[in-house]
Amino acid sequence: MNPYVTLIIILVGLYGLISSTNIIKSVFMATMIESGVILLFLNLGTWNGGVIPITSDVSLAIVDPIPQALMITTIVIGSTVTSLALIISIKIFHHHGSIEWKDLKR
Amino acid sequence: MIRRIIGLSLLIGLFFFMVEAMNEFGVLYNDEARLYFQTNGFLETGSLNLVTGIYLDYRLLDTLFEAGILLVAVSGVSWIAQHDHIEHNPLFMLDRFKIPELFVSIARVLYPIVLLFGIYVVFNGHLAPGGGFQGGSILATALLILYYIDLNKKTNLTRIFFIEKVLYLLLLLISSLSFFTRGFLFTNVVSPDMGVAWQSVFLITLNVLIGAKVALGLTAIFIAFLKEGR
Amino acid sequence: MNILPIVWVFLPIITAIIMFMVKPNWIHGLVFPLQAILLLLFILYIGHLRAFPEDALLVFGGYADWIGISFYADALNLTFVGLTIVMFFIIMYYSFKANRKEKKYFFFLTFLEGVFIGLLMTNDLFNLFVFLELTSLLVTILIAYRKAEQSLKAGLQYLLISSVAAMLYLIGVMLIYYLFGTINIRLVAEMMSTYEDTMLMRVAYGLMMAAWMVKGAVFPVYAWLPKAHGVAQSSISALLSGLIVKVSLYLIMRLHGDMFGQPYGFDQVFFVLGFVSGGLGVLFAMTQKDIKQVLAYHTISQVGLMMIGISFGSGNSYVGGVLHLLNHALFKGLLFLAAGVIIKVYNTKKVYEIRGLFQTMPWTATLFLVGILGITGAPFFNGYVSKTMIKYAFADDALWMILFQAINVGTMISFSKLLVMFTGQPKAGIDVGKSSFRQHLPMTLMAILMLAIGLFYQPIIQTLYGFTAYDVHIGSLASLVDYVLYFSLGLTLYYGVIRKDAKPFQQIRDFTISFPSLNVWLLAVVLVFLGLTLR
Repeated sequence: MNPYVTLIIILVGLYGLISSTNIIKSVFMATMIESGVILLFLNLGTWNGGVIPITSDVSLAIVDPIPQALMITTIVIGSTVTSLALIISIKIFHHHGSIEWKDLKR
Repeated sequence: MIRRIIGLSLLIGLFFFMVEAMNEFGVLYNDEARLYFQTNGFLETGSLNLVTGIYLDYRLLDTLFEAGILLVAVSGVSWIAQHDHIEHNPLFMLDRFKIPELFVSIARVLYPIVLLFGIYVVFNGHLAPGGGFQGGSILATALLILYYIDLNKKTNLTRIFFIEKVLYLLLLLISSLSFFTRGFLFTNVVSPDMGVAWQSVFLITLNVLIGAKVALGLTAIFIAFLKEGR
Repeated sequence: MNILPIVWVFLPIITAIIMFMVKPNWIHGLVFPLQAILLLLFILYIGHLRAFPEDALLVFGGYADWIGISFYADALNLTFVGLTIVMFFIIMYYSFKANRKEKKYFFFLTFLEGVFIGLLMTNDLFNLFVFLELTSLLVTILIAYRKAEQSLKAGLQYLLISSVAAMLYLIGVMLIYYLFGTINIRLVAEMMSTYEDTMLMRVAYGLMMAAWMVKGAVFPVYAWLPKAHGVAQSSISALLSGLIVKVSLYLIMRLHGDMFGQPYGFDQVFFVLGFVSGGLGVLFAMTQKDIKQVLAYHTISQVGLMMIGISFGSGNSYVGGVLHLLNHALFKGLLFLAAGVIIKVYNTKKVYEIRGLFQTMPWTATLFLVGILGITGAPFFNGYVSKTMIKYAFADDALWMILFQAINVGTMISFSKLLVMFTGQPKAGIDVGKSSFRQHLPMTLMAILMLAIGLFYQPIIQTLYGFTAYDVHIGSLASLVDYVLYFSLGLTLYYGVIRKDAKPFQQIRDFTISFPSLNVWLLAVVLVFLGLTLR
């Protein structure tokens, strides 16, 4: 059941990007897409009854450790992109006084 | 309005395709990589935690560039946050914010506990869930509690940048030492037949460096937001 | 010796960090020895590779190649790496005097060089994602470097759309990992031919293609490019238009050509998409009034032409497309750098306010003219070689030839607009002292390279690609007459139609796609590519 829920998170994030008129909302929706992708990746690799990969016993069927290692990197990358996007939005607000996409069209 | 309707219909189409893809997922899953890590992971890397073994041994290059992206983001955020233009209406959040007394008292108790927990997670990265990045984030939270206690705390950002870059160069140096001892770049300095204990030294050193770097980096980003260049 | 590719990646990064940590400003001069060392190592590596071809694959950590990260070198990415080293040297020399006191500028620029070379050399899908995000971050910071209003807005849009595209790419990587058990590009390419067509692979294909379309500013999702390239500093614009936007074509050649080539050979789609992109690009470029916007929209059109050439996969058109990639870096870079000098001296960006270039700055004006001749495809210059080679494969098909020539005429119209700047009287009070020798030297170097490629194209193509190009008849009278005819057609169309500035042209000029609509187009591209695989 879980992969479908994370898929809905990604699609809600995409819909949010399409329909939000506020810059900060767009940044939040991009972060949401990133969280959804991370959850999707993690969910697809595990199953009920799998052993956590912290063991030296070679006969236990562990869950796949590669998605978890890749997602550690992705989380850091996503948070840095969000922080840069937020600081640029703050500067845009200082310059324009408004934080809607359509007010920036000059 | 039209845009939302078109977007919604495109999204529903994409949803149906992806659900169909995930339905056939259970049938087509390819097991080889998982079996390889199951049988050889502990022997080759010397860490009980196989995830730490992957990001500190098999895919060390990814980790180096992940630390690099933190470096770039810190410099970028602090550059953009500086004020050297005349802006129309700068509003600074800090001037209107007052910290409650209760929060300050509890924070004083929490600070050493969180700090200790962060150090524990960093050091035990190869034996239990955790590692450099996770422990570094917890340490950053601990350091930031200090900022909530005292808003006018003075920090020398230049020194933080300097230390961070020295840590990154150290990280690069230690990662490439394996070229001289084993003939391959970006893997454990100690080869697997010298025992798990010596291999763990490399893992702990890397975890500590990454943890310190991440803690300093996240703290610097937060300070740049809070002070906005003043 | 075979670890040299990773040295190319880390040497600029370490230099960037050292330049940031050391206080005095003369340390910035370190970039020039860095470029010289990189060039030396590059030539050494090519010599080594000729002698030991099995060293092309470099796996880190000594593990098996399906488990560890690897770098792979072949003719495709080595030419790109050479172009990167040359372009970065030119940009650093050009902007050295203007920015010599700014530490962070050199830090970001040198870091970008290291990361970009890594992006070109890597053979691992997830490593590609990390490098892609790093490039997006660095390019955003460089676009928004001056912190003017427009650059902040352009930087934010670029960052957000790039990040969303990278996330879609990551879903594709994940699906491929679950199908094949490895994320090594060469191994996946080998295994792909034995796998049957399943919905997982189709979804992965659709998502990955959409991500590369965004990075390369192809037809529906191009809207970030004019904003970003138009408002950045001239040196950064030259770097972006000349180099960074081409990485998507490299990815298409690598991932669509090598990896997905067996199940989905979609050469027709790229052919048509290239034409649409080319046509729309010149249509927008014709109507703009700002120098940099003209050049930026024109980049979209030229990327479309490259895509037309590349979609053939092999033969004269393919080599023509790849050659056009190198040529475009040279002449678009030259045009942007010269435009930067002109804007600095005249203090305005609008084309109609700049007059009398030959009187005030003769050398810069000549270089600008050389750039225009190159980009419109004059004989003896390199643009002519690549455009004629691209035409080769469909020379018999009348419809596509007419469209191709129409795109060429559109190019000439948009550059006729810029020719207006050369005539007339300059306004009073223009201070010429602001340009310097340091800026003229790299531009002259680029002009000489353009001429060299145009005249000696046969040996150059032979050494680069091992391919004997067909004779494009440089000195023949027919090609010269052809060029002059097309150019005068372009000039007459310009003076007759565009100069009047009728209402439709004003609407085309002000047409922008806002950020939310851009995402709708992104989803449309994903679904189009997905739907095409269902055939």
